Amino acid sequence: MADIITAEDLTKVYRGKVTAVDHISFQVREGEIFGFLGPNGAGKTTTIKMLNTLASITDGHATVAGHDVAKEPGAVRKSIGVVPQELTADDELSGRENMVLMANLHQVWRASANSRIDSLLSLVDLQEASGRKVKTYSGGMRRRLQLVMGLLHEPKVLFLDEPTLGLDVQTRTRMWQYIKQLNKERGLTVFMTTHYLDEADSLCDRIAIIDHGTIRASGSPAELKEAHGGDIITLTVSNDKEDLTAFLSSIEGVKGVTREGRVYRIRLPKTEKALPSIVAGVVQKEAGIEEISFSKPTLDQVFLDVVGKSMRDEETSQSDSAWENIKMERAR
Amino acid sequence: MFREMFALTLRALRKWVRNPASIMPGLFTSLFYLVLFGNSFNPANLIPGGTSGPASSVLQAAFGGAPTYITYLTSGVICIILVFNMAFGGIDLVLDRQLGYLNSLLTAPIPRAAIFLSGVAQNLVKVLVLGVLTFIVALLIPNGLQLPGSFNVLDLLGVFGAFIFLGLGLSFIFTALALSVRSIDSLVAIVNFLTLPVMFMSNAFFPPSSFPDWLKTIANLNPVTKANEAARLLLINGSLTSAQVTTYMWDMVYLVGFATLLGVLGYLAARRALRPE
Repeated sequence: MADIITAEDLTKVYRGKVTAVDHISFQVREGEIFGFLGPNGAGKTTTIKMLNTLASITDGHATVAGHDVAKEPGAVRKSIGVVPQELTADDELSGRENMVLMANLHQVWRASANSRIDSLLSLVDLQEASGRKVKTYSGGMRRRLQLVMGLLHEPKVLFLDEPTLGLDVQTRTRMWQYIKQLNKERGLTVFMTTHYLDEADSLCDRIAIIDHGTIRASGSPAELKEAHGGDIITLTVSNDKEDLTAFLSSIEGVKGVTREGRVYRIRLPKTEKALPSIVAGVVQKEAGIEEISFSKPTLDQVFLDVVGKSMRDEETSQSDSAWENIKMERAR
Repeated sequence: MFREMFALTLRALRKWVRNPASIMPGLFTSLFYLVLFGNSFNPANLIPGGTSGPASSVLQAAFGGAPTYITYLTSGVICIILVFNMAFGGIDLVLDRQLGYLNSLLTAPIPRAAIFLSGVAQNLVKVLVLGVLTFIVALLIPNGLQLPGSFNVLDLLGVFGAFIFLGLGLSFIFTALALSVRSIDSLVAIVNFLTLPVMFMSNAFFPPSSFPDWLKTIANLNPVTKANEAARLLLINGSLTSAQVTTYMWDMVYLVGFATLLGVLGYLAARRALRPE
């Protein structure tokens, strides 16, 4: 499939001082859901802003739908839909009025506008509420409305900046369904940023992890998990007469072993291959297996490995750099 | 271009109309100026015989022939309402930026000029509605605005023609300012710094003939003075002498020039403010 977004050495330096994005390169293929993951202040929103023509490009270059972002911003704007992090639907207007406004702003003529508005509103189950003012909507309804507000002009690429921020688990799952449906049924390419690793895992065909303005890892969730996480076997033996670390490490395919008393944690790319030799070996050593379990890798592990801290720490810790504070201030 | 501009203007006005409370502060301001200021600062009260005696004709002459102080003041209050509401009308635009609404406009294929002009248009419509309401209030209050017998619809159009060009110029510059600042605080600071001098260095409350020379010079260059001069000619005299028509025309030329100049400056500033960050 052809690349619909390309970025080469894309760089953004604010006021000649703060480097928010530092020479990143990536491609997004037509028809895929591409996820941009990273902690606060990593450069996610700045990257999206450059691709959306909201931020100028300091160095490098980017194309969206075949148009150079810096040279043909008008053509880029026609081919993209943007769903920002902030809730920008107008409170005082009804859901339908917001849609009509967006249609007018995107030069969608009345006849086709009305049928598109109807089909998009029913896609996100907002037909019934469409006459009500947006200020009476729940958070989930606002996000859904905003999702389809970005689609009236049938863009080729949809940019979603944290599409499920602040939603409860159920509502998030429904949002995922809508996004998947749009991607499958309409062949829409989706470029999204997210904080939620499970969201990226279940939605995205490919992911890039960005930290301190550079891309640290990219690939499909499965590839990343295999490269950075792998499976983990947790083995509890019934006696600790002998240290099995060296033995376990020598088994083919095992990437690492840590021991805490009688509990061994064995890292390996695929459990199925090495499990028989591990069990056989432990039995042979007469260590006795009290408990054995294995877990499939999660993107959390990948993230921890790549960024050096887990997303959860990131969410609770105070952001330390001035730049992060500025960004958070602006996000409010 | 015009379709987008119209859609954006309609959105703003729709919100405004749906929230009747938003018009009340402006209306109260004009009521306070006309009734409270108009009665307490009435110069006729200071001079014995100021209201009916021989002194009253001296006063009348000083106030351009206005039969009452409120007749003179009405036009000034409309201008003040125009300046203040135009200046603070920008708050909505700053909020649009802060809430991310402006960004969603900027990522759409909307000409930047349409975003600017819709800001200009929405502010202009809002303050002109307030201006008309102020005019009606002035007519309704006791001892208020006393129109000459010959005053007709054309005169009314002539009065508001002056206000429209003053308002247009102000709207250009205050819309550009609102698009350029990043916080409501800085907008309020700049606006507070600007509005009082504009108001006092004009003929809004008193004729500049009583001002010291330096202030008179500035006041005579102030577009608020020109708008008041033009409007008062019609409000006080109704049908104009040919000399008065000439004065009116020159005032209008001045106001159109003022609006054109600020239109160009405002557009350049807005274009700069709407550039990618």
